[in-house]
Amino acid sequence: MNTLTTKTLRTVVDARKWSPVPDVRELFAYRDLFLTLTYRDIRVRYAQTMLGLTWALLQPVATLVVLGLVFGRVMRVDTQGVPYALFAVVGIAVWTYFSFVLKESGGSIIGAQDVVRKIYFPRLIIPLNKATVGLVDLFVALVLMAFLFIHYRVVPTSHALYALLFLGGVMVSALGVGIWISALTIRFRDLQHVVPFLVQFGLFATPVAYPASVAVNTLPEYLQYFYFLNPMAGLIEGFRWSLLGVGEWNGLCTLSVLSGLFLFVTGLFYFRSVERTIADLV
Amino acid sequence: MSKRVIHVSGLGKRFHVKGRSPIDLRAGIAENVKRLLSSKGDPFWAVRDVSFEVHEGETLGIVGRNGAGKSTLLKMLSRITYPTAGRFEINGRMSSLLEVGTGFHMELSGRENVYLNGTILGMRRTEVKSKFDEIVAFSGVEEFIDSPVKFYSSGQKVRLAFAVAAHLEPEVLIIDEVLAVGDVEFQRKCLGKMKDVASNGRTVLFVSHNMSAVNSLCERSLLLNKGMVEMMGPTLEVTRRYMSSNHDDPPGERDLSLLPSKQDQAARILAVRITDKAGAVIRHGLVTESFFVQLTYEVYRSGFRPQPVVLLFNSQGEQVFTSFPGMDTEMDYSPGRYTIQLQIPPDLLNADTYHFTLWLVTWLPYKAHQVAENIMSIEILDDIHSPTHPVSNRKLGGVVRPNLTWLRVEG
Repeated sequence: MNTLTTKTLRTVVDARKWSPVPDVRELFAYRDLFLTLTYRDIRVRYAQTMLGLTWALLQPVATLVVLGLVFGRVMRVDTQGVPYALFAVVGIAVWTYFSFVLKESGGSIIGAQDVVRKIYFPRLIIPLNKATVGLVDLFVALVLMAFLFIHYRVVPTSHALYALLFLGGVMVSALGVGIWISALTIRFRDLQHVVPFLVQFGLFATPVAYPASVAVNTLPEYLQYFYFLNPMAGLIEGFRWSLLGVGEWNGLCTLSVLSGLFLFVTGLFYFRSVERTIADLV
Repeated sequence: MSKRVIHVSGLGKRFHVKGRSPIDLRAGIAENVKRLLSSKGDPFWAVRDVSFEVHEGETLGIVGRNGAGKSTLLKMLSRITYPTAGRFEINGRMSSLLEVGTGFHMELSGRENVYLNGTILGMRRTEVKSKFDEIVAFSGVEEFIDSPVKFYSSGQKVRLAFAVAAHLEPEVLIIDEVLAVGDVEFQRKCLGKMKDVASNGRTVLFVSHNMSAVNSLCERSLLLNKGMVEMMGPTLEVTRRYMSSNHDDPPGERDLSLLPSKQDQAARILAVRITDKAGAVIRHGLVTESFFVQLTYEVYRSGFRPQPVVLLFNSQGEQVFTSFPGMDTEMDYSPGRYTIQLQIPPDLLNADTYHFTLWLVTWLPYKAHQVAENIMSIEILDDIHSPTHPVSNRKLGGVVRPNLTWLRVEG
């Protein structure tokens, strides 16, 4: 435990007194380190690549093209009159961010082991940092989305401001899952290899390319609950509803939101419980 | 009495040798099942029941053999790992320097790395900004500050990294073996800067294998052995105890008879010993005391005039002297076994680690019978805390430390 007082800094560590509560105040005290690491990651990710930020655009565009062919042209998914590209890009923007955070979190602490072994800082900064870096890609995908809105001359619904709330939910859930994954990979390195698979599978188990109603109409009831335990299921559906007015908000969507919140809070506590052993295990 | 800055009581860290880090799912599950069924693996205490106090402005040295628990202790104090037992309290802003250049990223420019490394070491961004010019000037890489660090030479990288570390202004500084990197010039700069830190009233914990560095920086030291405090007290006493028990160090005695010799079979050195006045083998000496280099060699064939030659090098690799028996030494060159000793007088060598190279040669006509490079070393210590020391608490500079005569001239 670290006690910060206004004038002099006092560090007290007692083997028998370990607070299981995440220390938010300490996290705030290390904000400069957080900002610098985030800046570093963004710089390293986009500096010295020929296309730079264009890479952030390429991924959602490629996904859009593939999904557009399969779900839009071949399967002709019912989008309630919304152009398919616009329908899909809303989901893709969010999913791109979520999958980025998951993939980056997998190897995050092992990737930072040089620093972790030599310097103390609240380790929560590591997954937090990954979730923040992903915002760049999210922003680029949202710009692509805005462009398609203009292209199809579609005006967002009057309740479009709710979208911000859903975006907030997406960030919290992504961070929550990211925290869980980064904490688990410390002990279970195999998880690093499982995550890309989960992400790949998740794209089809989430209403990105098709409306959630497809899942509701075809799945037996107990599987529907299971489907909506994925926080992205309800959040993407909600995000799309607030911008395009399609789909419906129901109890199942609320389940998704609660699931996201639950993962975030438990993630914080689980991370706290393994935090002190990180340097011994990496 | 000055303020107590560090207070450690009963600190300990235990590892489980078995199942310490299950690194895959299968092993992790198996481990959990095993743990349910049987007791845990053998506990191993890397550090056990360590207690000490450090007061404001003090520099405490921490010495011990490899595996004695120095690093674990330091890691606990810098909060990198969490103790299993005990507690500690540190009053004041603390920085730990277990490595220079932590977090350096090769793709980023020198400028960006200064900010990165500075904040990693606990500086505020604004603080780095205000010291930036100073840091860059200290590093001497001004011209390249905006090019990526991957284009730097390794020396430039170290200098830049150290420049950042040197501008930390913590009240408590924890340093581990950072002197091991870098060139000689850098090591000197490093030591000098650390002395500044200590003399500015800051508290320093200093871990090192370099006994002369510990000796010149720290008044008190703590000797760890198998994770426990073996001794704590004046540095010279602690370093002496450490060295007399340390078997990792080169011994003060060496048998050369089994060493393959590429040279001719006319004569060869069989053994070398470093002894004190009483003839006991030593591994370290004092600036103010003399010691002896004793050589045993054998002449196999007549017709040569083999003479042993002692070359002494300091830790920087500079040759301090070359010595061989002079005209007034009675030498016997007929076949047989001889022992001869060279006396190194007191007040000649400065505190340092010295290495011996031995030759066995016939000068005229020149013939090298044997060349044994870097065969032996000795650590010379300076008791800078002794009341009779010329300048108390300070190491005197220079390759040699002679006691010269000064006379006042009238007029």
